[in-house]
Amino acid sequence: MITVRDLYKEYRVTERGRGLGGTLKALFKQEEKIIKAVNGLDFYVGKGEIVGFIGPNGSGKSTTIKMMTGILAPTSGEVLIDGRNITRYRKEAVRDIGVVFGQRTQLNWDLRLEESFELLRHIYRIEKKDYRETLEVMDSILGVGELLNKPVRQMSLGQRVKGDLTAAMLHSPKVLFLDEPTIGLDVGSKYALRKFIKEINAIKGTTVILTTHDLGDIQELCERLIIINGGVMMEDGNLSEIVERIAPYRTLAVEYYDAVVPEHAKAEILSVSDNVVRYKFMKADMTAAELIRDLSELYPIKDVGIEEAGIDDIIRIAYEMKK
Amino acid sequence: MFDGALDKYLFVYKTRIIRSFTYKFEVYGNILMQVIIMITTAFFWKALFGSETFGNGITADSMLTYTVMSSVLSVLFTTGVERRMQQSVEKGSIAIDMMRPVNVFGVFLAEDLGSLTALLVQNLLPILLLGSLLIQVPVIASPSAIPLFAVSLVLSMGINWLMAAIFGMWAFTAISMDALFQAKKHLIRLLSGSIIPIWFFPKWLADILNALPFVYIYQLPLDIYIGSATDEEIYSRILLQLVWALVLAALFCLLSKRVLKKVLVQGG
Repeated sequence: MITVRDLYKEYRVTERGRGLGGTLKALFKQEEKIIKAVNGLDFYVGKGEIVGFIGPNGSGKSTTIKMMTGILAPTSGEVLIDGRNITRYRKEAVRDIGVVFGQRTQLNWDLRLEESFELLRHIYRIEKKDYRETLEVMDSILGVGELLNKPVRQMSLGQRVKGDLTAAMLHSPKVLFLDEPTIGLDVGSKYALRKFIKEINAIKGTTVILTTHDLGDIQELCERLIIINGGVMMEDGNLSEIVERIAPYRTLAVEYYDAVVPEHAKAEILSVSDNVVRYKFMKADMTAAELIRDLSELYPIKDVGIEEAGIDDIIRIAYEMKK
Repeated sequence: MFDGALDKYLFVYKTRIIRSFTYKFEVYGNILMQVIIMITTAFFWKALFGSETFGNGITADSMLTYTVMSSVLSVLFTTGVERRMQQSVEKGSIAIDMMRPVNVFGVFLAEDLGSLTALLVQNLLPILLLGSLLIQVPVIASPSAIPLFAVSLVLSMGINWLMAAIFGMWAFTAISMDALFQAKKHLIRLLSGSIIPIWFFPKWLADILNALPFVYIYQLPLDIYIGSATDEEIYSRILLQLVWALVLAALFCLLSKRVLKKVLVQGG
């Protein structure tokens, strides 16, 4: 559905020195600097996938999304949406995509929601019948029906995002791009949004590309994660695979009846406090049950606890990795 | 197929008209400004002419008509395209325009035509009425000039919009444009004959200006309106006006394709 091939984007920025002196100097001589925002990305997204596209601030993920949606032209490389180059055939290719930016709206601030939708109906030349059907489906998932007569400027953020989601789905796109859609939303609205993504993916088979900083979004929605940093791909795979790769270890905390510190050949001792000893071991080497069995043969065990690397740890580690 | 393709721009146009009427107060300032310009210019011409007649049969009366019509036409030469482009780059809203299956400049044009349609009622009519009441009813010199006036006015509006659009394209590659937009606005006011007809300028300067596109915005339709030029003069000048319109249209087509590839999108 989406092919990203050898994608690069360079920006030319003019630098200005500090203070008044630097400003004056910039009038005569500007120093140019080239920033490589995206540095050779290659991936493929199949039909019906929900892909989390994540990376720290300034990692190039927004730039990539903008190139994938036809807004920015790549310096080199190409993005194909359903086999069509989006830069060269922008007007045709964007019919297949819907885009929602959490931080800006495509709705018209001064109009009622329905008037914005009508404008889109004409822009995408959607048949009245299809338009009504889509609107009904969206109403059943998001409850936008009651908002249709409301001017957009009077809406809460949650209502506005619902409006934007509906607007992006009116022309039944094959791919839906969501750029930080949950930013600033309350718990209820976030829940509605996640439910919406799952349902349109199930009902319409829409492919979803999602950028987010919200771990809940990642955990609940994304079967596949693409992590980028510094404009290059760091990880690509499903969540458990990535966890496996980045943190192939577990931690076992064992509480003994006495202050003893038994060692194990395949486990590393992380810390000792009172009667509790924490062991780190590789999942590939042995199971937690084996370790517990071995240790219990040495000393009687009172209690055990297994700690997994949390998803936030995984993301943090991935962000800190350098290729 | 043509109808279908045009339909979306027609709807953008209609939507813009609806939108324009939600801002009621923004447009009154311009009425006040135009009335002040009309009155001061009218006093100036009255003092200058008295009851005399200028070389090419121009009287104080025709200058008053010129003044009122210049203010009326200024409404038709209102464009939003430069500001629209500047803001879409500054605020990053160009992203919204680019992700839709539309020609971005087609949308800008449709929006401007929509605003203009609303301004006919909100601005042009009040200015015409106030000018007629306070200064003079601007009557066209001869009814037979109406078709020529209409043709040249349409070309004027085309030239004016194209110049604004081409100018606005700078905003796509450079970010801060306010000073340049101001400079262009005042340059057009001075060089287009909107306040002082260029036949008052020294001949060498008038010759230079006649070669530039600015005079084909205000001066030509106004000359036709007050009857200050012979038919032959008018025909040859409309031809030149057409040439400028085509040159600017060609430049616009050339630049608009390139410039969209250079779009800088600010923010998130």
